[in-house]
Order: sequence, then C-alpha cells, then structure tokens
Amino acid sequence: MFKKILIANRGEIAVRILRACRELGIKTVAVYSEADRQALHVRYADEAYFLGPSPARESYLCGDKIIDIARKCAADAIHPGYGFLAERADFATDCKDAGLVFIGPKASSIAAMGDKAVARSTLAKARVTVVPGTEGEGPLRDDELLAFAPKIGFPLIIKAVSGGGGKGMRDVRNLEEMPDLIRSARREAESSFGDGNVYLEKMVEGARHIEFQIMADQFGNVIHLGERECSIQRRHQKLIEESPSPLLANDEALRQRMGAVAVQAARAVDYANAGTIEFLVDKDRNFYFLEMNTRLQVEHPVTETVTGMDIVAEQIRVAFGLQLSRKQEDIRWRGAAIECRINAEDPYNGFLPSSGRITLTQPPTGPGVRIDTGVYAGFDISPYYDPLISKMIVWGETRSQAVIRMRRALEEYKIVGVRTNIPFHQTMMDTYPFITGKYDTRFVEEQFSMLDAAENRELYLDIAALMATMVAHVQMEHRAQVYGQPGQESMWKWVSRRLRLNR
Amino acid sequence: MIYIAEVDGLEFPVEILDEHHIRFGKDILEVDLAAVSGQPLYSLIVNGESFEGYVYPAEGGWQVLLLGRSYSVIIEDEREKRLRTSEAGPASPGREFTLRAPMPGLAVAVLVSEGQQVEKGQILVILESMKMQNELRAPYAGTVARLRIKAGESVQQKQILLNLAASALNIT
Repeated sequence: MFKKILIANRGEIAVRILRACRELGIKTVAVYSEADRQALHVRYADEAYFLGPSPARESYLCGDKIIDIARKCAADAIHPGYGFLAERADFATDCKDAGLVFIGPKASSIAAMGDKAVARSTLAKARVTVVPGTEGEGPLRDDELLAFAPKIGFPLIIKAVSGGGGKGMRDVRNLEEMPDLIRSARREAESSFGDGNVYLEKMVEGARHIEFQIMADQFGNVIHLGERECSIQRRHQKLIEESPSPLLANDEALRQRMGAVAVQAARAVDYANAGTIEFLVDKDRNFYFLEMNTRLQVEHPVTETVTGMDIVAEQIRVAFGLQLSRKQEDIRWRGAAIECRINAEDPYNGFLPSSGRITLTQPPTGPGVRIDTGVYAGFDISPYYDPLISKMIVWGETRSQAVIRMRRALEEYKIVGVRTNIPFHQTMMDTYPFITGKYDTRFVEEQFSMLDAAENRELYLDIAALMATMVAHVQMEHRAQVYGQPGQESMWKWVSRRLRLNR
Repeated sequence: MIYIAEVDGLEFPVEILDEHHIRFGKDILEVDLAAVSGQPLYSLIVNGESFEGYVYPAEGGWQVLLLGRSYSVIIEDEREKRLRTSEAGPASPGREFTLRAPMPGLAVAVLVSEGQQVEKGQILVILESMKMQNELRAPYAGTVARLRIKAGESVQQKQILLNLAASALNIT
C-alpha cells in the first residue's frame, strides 16, 4: 500500500480523505493557503506545507508547487478531492510524469469527460441518450450560439464546457435575453475555470437529477453503487441529496437500466477509480446522460451510508493497483440516507453568502447522524472559497425515519457567527413535496418559499417577543451603565439591583 | 421597565419586574434567560418550558430564529412609543436606502449610474464572493442618489455601495 499521500485540497473533503488515510495506516501531507493556516486539515495531517496566498489561483490551483512539495516530502500519491485540480487532465499527466500516482482516473478519461461538449458527443456515439443540444459542434461563438438556439428550442441552458458546481450556467427563456446571459455565463466560467467556452442544452422540464456512483479498477472491472437523487438544488447548486431516489425506490427495472447505462458510459472512456454519471429523468421516466464527474463527489457519503462501502478508501486501493473489493452482486443497499449541505448562506436574504468567524458550533450527535466538516469555533469563513460549512448525513431504516431524524438533527445543530441555511433545510423537511418525494430540479426556485412552508409551523410569536425583549433589555441596561461594573457576576443581578435603585 | 414588542403586526406589552419575573399581558411569568457560552444563542425557560433561539440585532429591531422560523421583533419602551404616536403625521418622504456589501468581494459589474431611475427588484450591482456572482437588487423603485463604487473594485463587508432615494409613490 502507499506509504504517504498528499491531499491537494482543503475544508471538509481534505479532512474526509485524511480520515481514510488514517484508517489505512497511510501517512498524510496537507497543503494550505494563508487563510487556512489554522484549518482542521492542516492540524490533522502528519505533515503540512505552505502553498501561497489565499486566492485559489495562487495556492490550491498551483499544480506545479503541489507536485514539487509531494516530491520533496516523498509522497507516493496525490488525492485531489473535488474542485480545484480534481478534473484537470494536465495535472493528472504532470503527476504521472513526476512519478506520483494521481488518485483518480487516467488523464485521457478526464479529458474525454472533462470537456462537457466532447463527453456528450462521445456518449451519443456510444448510443447513450444525451439531452439534446450543441453536442458535436465544437466551440461556438456568440452569434453561432444564438443561431443554434431556436433549433434546440426554449427554454434552454447555457453551460460552461469546463463547468461544474453550477458555475457558468444560465437558464434562458427566450432569444431576447440570451446575449446578456451568454456574456455573464462566459464571464463566470472564465473566472471559475479559466475557460469561457460554453455550449447549449435543452432544458428538460419537470426533470429529476439522478446520478449513479461508479467504481472501477485498473483491470476493467466496473460496478455501480446505486443512485443518488439530487433534484433539490438552487441555481444548479445541489442542496440536498438522498439515496435511494424516491422515484426509483419503486421502479427497480428503471434503476437496473440506468445502472447498466452508467457502467457502459464509464467503460466508453476506459474509466478507472470513482466517478459519477449524472442523468436527467423526465416526467415520462425517460432518462438522458447529463455529464460525468471524474472525481469524488461532495455527496458521496450518502452512498457510503446505504452501501456501507468506504468510497475514499476504495479509491486509494484501486489507485494503488488492487482489484475492486466487491463485485456488483455483492453490493447491497440498506435503508435510506439523506444529506443536507450546510452552507454559510442566509435563506432569509436571497441566500447571500455570509462570511465571518464561527464563534460557536454545536453539531448534532446521536443515532444515525454523520457530520463531515472542516470548521470549528474560531474558524473564519473566508470569501475565497465555497460557502460549504459542513455536510450532515442521516440514516434511517426507511425514508420517513430518515426525514424525521434529519429534522431532529437540524434542530440540534447550532452554528453562531455566520448565517447558515439550516432554516432552509428545516423548512424543506416540513414541505409536502419533499416528504412525499415528489419534487423536481425546479422545485426550490419555482415553488418553494420559506414563508409558505413556515405557515404550517406552530407560531411562537409570544416567545419570540419575550426573548427579544429580554435580550434587548439586558443590552440596553448594559450600554446605559455609567457607574459600577457588573464584572463576572450575573448581569441580571446587576440589572435588578439598578431597577430597585430607580424605584 | 415596560416594553412593547411588536411581532407580525401584533403588540405584546412586556414588563420586566425583576431578574426572574415578567408581566406578560395579564400573566406574571417566571423566566430565566442565559446566553450559551456568551454567544447570541439564548436558552430561555418560561414557567418550566425550555426554548432555545438566536437573537440578532437587525435593521430597526431584532431578529429571532426560533425552532426553524425567523421572527422580526421591534421593541420600544413605553415612553418612546407614546412619544412617537403623539407626533402622528405621515412618515417622512425621501426615505433613503443604503446598499451595503453583504459580504466582502469583487464588484464585477455596476449596472446603474448616478441619477438613474430604477424599478423595484432591478439589479444594481453584481458582487462576486465565494466563487458565486450575487445580484444585489433594489428593494423598491427610486433614484440612484449616490454611487460609491466602480466595476472591478474590491469591497469590504458592509461597505456602502450606493444610496437609493425612494420614489414619492412608494411612501406608505
């Protein structure tokens, strides 16, 4: 087995990979930017090396520097996590050239799937149904995109060729608004991926986003670990993922077909290691290939929870050259898992990101709850990286039990210092379409409202009034204080003493 | 001390009697409030019932996050309230809104100019932060009174980006 692995990432995923290495008895190397000197991944690793200033371009995206560090500290392999360098074919090649194992697929598979436009035409040729769009057209100029759009039909989506995570994506309703949207999509794609190329894809309405986890070794064995339902998203950012999908839970035939196509898609690019095939499933249960993510996914714990498989450990094993630890027929799914992404975003204020210092964090514990996080009390949520604070995953024997458990866990979770989207998740867990599993990818943006859903919740106007008044009172008295220091004793004692004096 | 707390258009008179007793409407409640680890997270026990909530100061009042729901609470002490209601008359026109950066970031686009009329919900500034572009919109129709940033500038959290004077029609 590998002796030492460098983790070219930060945040919760760096911690997740560190944990897998620990359990496998592999030494770990962390790299960090200025902003992350005190981050958990730095503190948990056996070795840690400074990369550069906080912006990702000057730190976590510096492949050369990372390879240099890996060679100097005699690491055998590099795990890229997700984002940053995870889907950069040139980085995978550079690792190989430097005599390092890149824990992921071959550079050629990344390249084949990484350019989303190329991936779509490759799979269309392998007779996998893709969402209709500009596949096979190559890079297009603005005027060509505008000319092509009516052929696809509206509504459609502009997507970044090097995209991921919802960046560089725009929904287009008509031709008039399209030029502006192309410009803003290119701008965002350019700043996120250094590549402003975009393509068009028809918007499948009423669609569900269902993806399959693939695991493949270097001997041509490819299996799938079942699906994840990721239709709860906002601006193409996933917020909640679950397995099994409520749609497939009672349609085993469709699951089998989709799983087989996912395996076939992975084989089409000679895939090894962990990957994800994303599909859109329309109202009539037709499914279309959307894209392949040639890396570990944010939401992988959902699959780990229902299959019992450690996906990160398996990635390391197959990258080392071992065979898959399980065959397709050995994979069993048990119960239901739901993941909520806890982001530093204010759901009461248009989901604006909230940065600042986390002053208190009290994560839920107890049966069936898993938290993957990279933060702690005292950690600064900086504007340089994504707003993910943690992932909370619950398991239940049934989906209903998982929903109830998630409600309980969300209620326990306390984070102070930055605004979080926990109230969004709490509201979602009380929403009828979510509870019944009948939702699509447009649900959050088109039908969901924090206010409507809150209508059904018991009102505590009186308690809110009481709590706010008492807090305001203490603070006002505290501010008005011109004599005497309450010091360490109770502020209330001091306030009541003053009240008696005033009487 | 008597306060009037207003939530969702309802008024609650709250009289602080002493450290542990509050007159709330007709009832006298036994209360105990404790800040958790000195944070704006509060544990409140009212006649034996236990509640936990976040209390933040917000524009013009307080925001209380309690059991997955957010409440806006405006608190005035009784004298303040008497004073204000006796003044009567309509609210002052020319209400001005100050758009502040909700987080540090880069102003990638400034879509309005000084003196420009804007509609409610119109995008004023696009701010990039945490790898996302965020559209900051006008809370009501009005005129851009002062513009204080240019596209391409980095901004600090709470930095003033522009001032917006409400159209006279908006004043209610």
